[in-house]
This record gives sequence, structure tokens and C-alpha cells, in this order.
Amino acid sequence: MKQRLRLWGLALLLCGTAFFLFYTHRPAVAQEENDPPLPLLVGSVRDRQGQPVGRATVLLWQGAPGATPEAEAEPLASVTTQPDGRYAIPLPEPLPAGEVYYLAIERAHFEDARITLDPDMVAQVEEEGSVVLPELVLPREVNLAFWIATLIFAGMLAVVAISDLHNTLVALLGASLVFAVSYLGHPLSEDLFIFDFDTALEYIDWNVIFLVMGMMIVIAVVEETGLFQWLAFAAYRLSRGKAWLLLTVLMLVAGVASAFLDNVTTMLLMTPISVQIALALNLNPLTLLVPEVMASNVIGVSTLVGTPTNILIGSFASISFNDFLRNLTPGVLLAFAGLVIYSVYSYRRDLGTTGEMSPALLERLEERAQITRPGHLRKAGWIGAIMLLLFVFGERIHLLPSVTALMGATALLIWIRPDVEKMIDAVDWTTLVFFMALFIVVGAIQEVGLISVIADVIGRLVGDSLVLTMVTVIWVSAVLSAVVANIPFTAAMLPVVGYLSGIVPGAHSKVLFYCLSVGSAMGGNGTLIGASANLVTAGIAERAGYPITYTYFLRKGFPALVITVALATIWLFIRFLVLA
Amino acid sequence: MSGVLCAIRGGPGSHPTIRKAINLAESKKLPLYFLYVFNLDFMRHTSHSRADTITADMKQMGEFILLMAESLAAEQGVNAEGIMRQGQVAEEICELGKELAADYVILGRPKEERNVFTQDRMSELEKTIEESTGADVILVGEG
Repeated sequence: MKQRLRLWGLALLLCGTAFFLFYTHRPAVAQEENDPPLPLLVGSVRDRQGQPVGRATVLLWQGAPGATPEAEAEPLASVTTQPDGRYAIPLPEPLPAGEVYYLAIERAHFEDARITLDPDMVAQVEEEGSVVLPELVLPREVNLAFWIATLIFAGMLAVVAISDLHNTLVALLGASLVFAVSYLGHPLSEDLFIFDFDTALEYIDWNVIFLVMGMMIVIAVVEETGLFQWLAFAAYRLSRGKAWLLLTVLMLVAGVASAFLDNVTTMLLMTPISVQIALALNLNPLTLLVPEVMASNVIGVSTLVGTPTNILIGSFASISFNDFLRNLTPGVLLAFAGLVIYSVYSYRRDLGTTGEMSPALLERLEERAQITRPGHLRKAGWIGAIMLLLFVFGERIHLLPSVTALMGATALLIWIRPDVEKMIDAVDWTTLVFFMALFIVVGAIQEVGLISVIADVIGRLVGDSLVLTMVTVIWVSAVLSAVVANIPFTAAMLPVVGYLSGIVPGAHSKVLFYCLSVGSAMGGNGTLIGASANLVTAGIAERAGYPITYTYFLRKGFPALVITVALATIWLFIRFLVLA
Repeated sequence: MSGVLCAIRGGPGSHPTIRKAINLAESKKLPLYFLYVFNLDFMRHTSHSRADTITADMKQMGEFILLMAESLAAEQGVNAEGIMRQGQVAEEICELGKELAADYVILGRPKEERNVFTQDRMSELEKTIEESTGADVILVGEG
């Protein structure tokens, strides 16, 4: 009874969250019709990259010509700019004659600005009721907070890459440092303020958090069914002793699974059974494992839920499940074909030395390669199919992927009635906390203007050339993702790519986001530390007596990176330059 | 109880160790035990929530590796028992060595120094096992 109550409690919580996400993300309709008439002075504030500046304070002052306001004087009116940078400030009536009116615009991390209202403009306001002021461009201010936030972010990337500390701990440390500097440093110097807690929370993308959480619950149900073991053994049967065919089918299984589950889970489940098949065939297990993990990193790019980086990109740029399928899947298949040919060629000697599987080992493998919970698998299959339909067609009714994932997870919990404690344990809370802390740290560098500086520099380097911008984004992402953690990297690159998409002619098609998606995920094949799935695979292989060294992975993985990213680049050129 | 305890990791590096253990058990007419130890330390950077599932899969992989070693022993007419433990390698070897009152503990000596298996650590491990189990420790070089 208690168990059932907990299950219903969890289901209600998930349903409530799904409803909340759906409700709060509905497009505003008919709201503008009821808005009161515009106040007198209307304008907007942007930064030098053309991005709107929200949360800026706009103050209306009055004074004698040439005078500056007294420190204790009250402004005539005060408003804050909206997230889109717009403001509307009312003028008091009647306006005293012979005074000068001006607007002062203040915002942390920007230089203060002032707009003097000339008498003609004031007269126009009084006559016509309102006036639209020219757009104001606020220059960035590089202060101590800028350098501290930059240092914290760079330090976080470095510590994740070289230390033994858990990623979540590193991200939490980064977020805590940001708050410590803002709250403890601010009383000492205004230049030490980065942002406050409320502003930090605005940078957390809850769509990403709930999508990841929902998918974790779905995965937890599927992984217990024995599906992966069954699929791997089916691959062995299908290959009929041909090692190259076995390799190809296992790569396909790992890849397709990664398109819907996260790569780490896929490899956690695929690696032990692949090792057993390889050992039984007298084949070096690395011959199967390294291509499998590379396929997982490549094919995962094809869907919105296939990689955490795609989830980040999709949510930031409003790229739907369908968009990913339409614009990336053909390129991913092309890259996968290249990867299969490369893998078969690269491991041709090992693949030629397989032996017959001994009957005792074959029997043991077959015994284990069974679907352990067919009922659960059937139900998960139905729910999975419905979720897929909602992912594909949900955009027509503005259904967010996170809502679909939450509804799917809830439906599975109610239908299957698993051990709810186990299901809650299956949600990797550390990953969710990692994402939240990461969003805060990336928000900090966005707030202080580092992202604007990077965007500005890249924008000047690539100029107006879409081809050059595409090549830069895809290859820089690929190479950097091979050496730094790709999730923080992608999170930081999103606003940069957003800016470039706004200024480079032809980039409004969101092509640069697809370039980032391909580069950041396929770049993981470059080195052993390039993707978590690589490390997990290496960990299991090492325990089977087949260590994957850094050099070994680099030798096999880097050419794969070059081949797959080159093929994906060709597809993106065809899709967005030729077919567009 | 007494016998030969052979700790294996799988892979070609374990073959000489397994053969040495089989030959020793055969010549001394002692029971042979293969030990496979696994842990999930490699998951420290990733999702711990998958621990239950991966533990089951790692056990299956360990059983398979043990089965292969048992098959090799059976080919030479030696009966061997495979034992699997989860934990730290050194601790589990000592623990099982004591439980079995093993006469011999056979370990592979990695050809190259890697991870924790430096020559110093191997000598230290050898000494620890000898002191805690009273067994003779034989280190076998990788093939």
C-alpha cells in the first residue's frame, strides 16, 4: 500500500511538472490585445553584438541645463528593461518648462549611458502621447568580475579535464565561487559583483533538466529487460561467423540505441556482452568495443535526445526532434558508413583471426542473452513508440520534448509499477545537479560579457562568409571537444553561435547549431577523454584484461574523428548551401 | 581446506598465470581456485545510478572469464572452481586466501608498469598476501 502511494505520488509529481512546463511555455496569444496603451517614452537597449539587454534600469531625470542630479534626488520615473531589451517609461504631467530631461541607463557589466531629450522631443511626446526613442547600444565594461568569472570557467574546464574530482563537484564549486565573489566581494568593491541568486536561476534551462530526468526513468525501465544482451547475441547469430559483419551489426546496434538512450548507458550495457562474444570467438574485444563506442558517439547526434549536447542545443535554439532528424540524420548515416569502412579496414588483421565458439561458451552466452522481462519490454515499447510520435509531431501543438519525456516516464511508472525507490535511484541526480551548476557558471560568463567578447572575435574572423563560419564552428568544436568536456563547452558556445547566426548572412537557418551539434559530439571520438562513454568502455575493458590506453584510443579515434566530421560537413554543405 | 588460488583478470596477459596455476595444482594434487575481482571504480566520473545494472553485467562477464579459465583447466584434467568477488583486488585476494587456507597464491606480474601495478606495489602486495594468508606467493610474468 505504502509502495503504491509512493508510486502515485511520484506519478502525480511528474504529471504536475509536465503540466507546469507545458503551461509556462505556451505561446502568449491575445495578450497584446488587452495591453494598456503604450506609455510616453518607448525604446530598446542592445549590446554591441545586437543582443537585447534585459534587467537594465532606465531612469528619467530632470534638471537645469548643464546640471547633474543630486545624489539624494529622486528620479521622475524608473523602469527595468524586459528580456527583449525593450522599455516603456511614463512621463509625469505636467512637465515643468525650462528643464532638461534625460534618461540614464544603468546595468551591471555595462557602461552607464545617457539620452538627453531635446525640447522638440518633449513637445512631440506632449502632443502625440508617445514617442519611440532610437535604439541604444550599451558598451560592455570589462571589470574585475569579468576576469574572475572567466578564471572560474576556465578553471572548471581544466579541473574537469585533468583531475579526479567528480564533474558535479567541480561545477558546484564553480557556481559557489561565482556566488561567493558576488555576495562576499560586492560589499568590498562594486566591480566584484557578477550576479545575484535570482538572476542565476534565470540561466537554468529547466526544459533540459526535465528532459534528461524523464529520459533517465525510461532508460532505467528498458535497461532491466535484457534487451541489449539479446540484441548483441542476435548480432552474433546474424553475422554467421563473419567477424566484419558482426562488427558492423554491433556498431549499428550501439549507434541506434544511442540515438534514443544516452551513450554512457548504451556502452555500459553493450560492453560486457561484447567482451564475452569477442572472447568466445577468440577475438580481441577492443576490435568490437572501440568501433562500438565510436558509432555510439556518431549516431547519437541524429536525434534531439541522443546526446546531452543535442538536448542543450535543441532547447536553446528551439530545434525540434523533427528538425534534428531531417537536417542531421542523412549526414550522420553518411558519417556512420565512413566509420564502418574505416573500422573494418583498421581492424582487418584482428577480424581475420576469429575462431569457432566452443559449445559450452555458446550455451552460456545464449542462456544469458534472453529478454528477462518481456512484459516490461512490451509496455516500454508501446510507450516508447508513443513518445517517438509525440517527439516528432508534438511541435505542432507546442509540446516541449521535456513534457513528452515526463509524460512517457509517468505512463511507464503507472503501467509497469516498478519498485519506485529503485526508479528514484535510477535518476542520476548528480548529473541533474551538474547541469544546474553548469548553467549558473555559463550564465556568469555570459553576464560579465565573456561570451560577447568571444562572439565578437569569431564574428570578425569569419566575416560574412557562411562557409567559413560553418567550417570554423564544426571543426573548432570537434577538436576542442576531444580535449575538454563537451557539455560545458557546448553550453558556453550556444550564445556565441546564436550571435553568429544573427549576423552571418544565410545562418538564420540554424545551420551553425547543427555544426555545433556534429562537432561537439563527433569530436568525442578524438581522444579517450573526449566522451564519458569512452571512459566507461575503457573501464570495463580494463577489468576484462584488455586496457584501452590513451595512445591506443588516439591512434584509432582521431582518424575516425576526421573521417566522420568531414563527411558530416559535406552533408551540411549539401543540405544548407546546395539544397537550401 | 588448502589449495592453489589463482587471481585472474582475463586477457592474454592472464594465460601464463592460468597455465602456471593449472600445472602447480596438477603436480601438487591440490584443488584449484580461480578468483576474479571486479569493482566499479571506473564509474566514479559518471552515473552511479546505473550501479545495479552494471554490477549484474560485470558479474556475468566475470563468470564468463572464469568459465574460460575453468575450461583450460578441464582440458588438462584438472577440476577448478571459479570464485568472483566485488571489491579491491588486494583485499579480496587476502580474504579468500585466508578463507581457503591456500598453500599457494598465484598472481600475474604485468609486463609493463601501468596503473597501480608498479613493481614496488607488486612486491608490497606479495608481502602483504604472504603475511596475511601464510601462503607462498608466486608471481608469473605476462606472456
